[in-house]
Amino acid sequence: MNKLKVSIVLGIMCFVLTYGIFLQIKTVENSNMEVSQNYEENNLRAEVLKFKEKYDNKAKDLEKLEKDLEEERKEATQDNTELENEEIQIKKANKIIGLSEVTGPGVIVTLQDSEMNPSNALNISDLLVHDLDVLNVINELKNAGAEAISINGQRLVSTTAISCEGNVININKVKVGAPFEIKAIGLPESLSALERPGGYLPFLEKYSIKTSLEKSNQLTIPKYSGKLEFSYGKSK
Amino acid sequence: MIVTIGIACLILACTMFMQFKIVNQTDITSIETMREEELRQELANWKQKYEEVDQQYEEVEEKIEEYKNKKQSDSETAALVKEELEQSNLLLGKTDVEGEGIEITINEAPDNDFSIIKASDLLSIVNSLRYAGAEAISINEERILTMTDIVDINDTFIKVNGQRILAPYVIKAIGNKSYLESSLVGNGGYADQLRNIGHDVKITQMDKVLVKKYNGEITYKYISD
Repeated sequence: MNKLKVSIVLGIMCFVLTYGIFLQIKTVENSNMEVSQNYEENNLRAEVLKFKEKYDNKAKDLEKLEKDLEEERKEATQDNTELENEEIQIKKANKIIGLSEVTGPGVIVTLQDSEMNPSNALNISDLLVHDLDVLNVINELKNAGAEAISINGQRLVSTTAISCEGNVININKVKVGAPFEIKAIGLPESLSALERPGGYLPFLEKYSIKTSLEKSNQLTIPKYSGKLEFSYGKSK
Repeated sequence: MIVTIGIACLILACTMFMQFKIVNQTDITSIETMREEELRQELANWKQKYEEVDQQYEEVEEKIEEYKNKKQSDSETAALVKEELEQSNLLLGKTDVEGEGIEITINEAPDNDFSIIKASDLLSIVNSLRYAGAEAISINEERILTMTDIVDINDTFIKVNGQRILAPYVIKAIGNKSYLESSLVGNGGYADQLRNIGHDVKITQMDKVLVKKYNGEITYKYISD
């Protein structure tokens, strides 16, 4: 009798576990394997990787070349105080515009989708970090005096929009997904105002979005990865 | 017998956790999980980014060449530096900018609790305009810079660049005028949303919009030199 009971319990456990595995395998297959078998898509994937690599290499070269230009400009202007002054202004402007890498003290804010079981939520959408959440966090950081901001390595410039594209967010034409790591340079004590009661981070926490804020004495924020140029507007 | 089943259970449990891990690691931005249409778009994106950076490379190369050639002449170098500085000031927002674009005028709906335009409304409009490629934007003549914040002060005032502004709001944006307008109307566009709750939103496409420069000093304190 006792043996029978144990066997039944173990049998049920085995069944549950097997069921769990099949469920998982199905999920993985749906999201991954099935897609990879498509010939056309594999070709496209290879193309994307090729261009990504080409872009990365060129971007690295460009960074080097821009340093050369800075040197050249400096050399050309060093004998003339007025020109030297203008050269410094250009360098400073590039830092503000987002055309050169910057370092300084600041904070790192991380936003992560809720880990709560979706079946326990009234609205599944509430468990995710949205474009509007990122936009609001950024606005709060600016309000607290941020001087430079990046989101998952994408530098914010004057033309940067943050838009939702299904389950990812598009920033500077690059797709980024949760967790979002937002770096901001400024006075760390002011920037941490986001954490104060009634601030935006506690608000997100209410929806069980996972947030964290970390102060840092030395942050590096990369330069903008695209081309910044006006084709409609002319200075007047 | 029981031992055998126990071992089987253990193996099954292990497999299950392995699977869980794989599912957790699936990166939604990874191209592995994208389908054909998304991949095509992604490819176009990276192609464009590559072309941009390539073009930029050539331009910087040219500039270096020019500096080298004109090293001997102070006046020619001065012209070069001046040109670069003007470009910097344009991008910074320190010059008036004129060009094709749109003007949006928002009059708040009268006497209605829902009728107040909030900072978040303006923030969303600015974001939509940027998405449509706006190059320069101002709200009630306050230039929107990279680090401009837009926050509520109270029901009447909104703070932009530390300056108080109030309704009616006039937003000017320079860029492709039809792109700019279409980013706000139709299919969940923000102007339509505001109209639906009773606000009066007028959008005018113009061949010449003047966006004024930022009037303050643009400085920094924490970015190290």
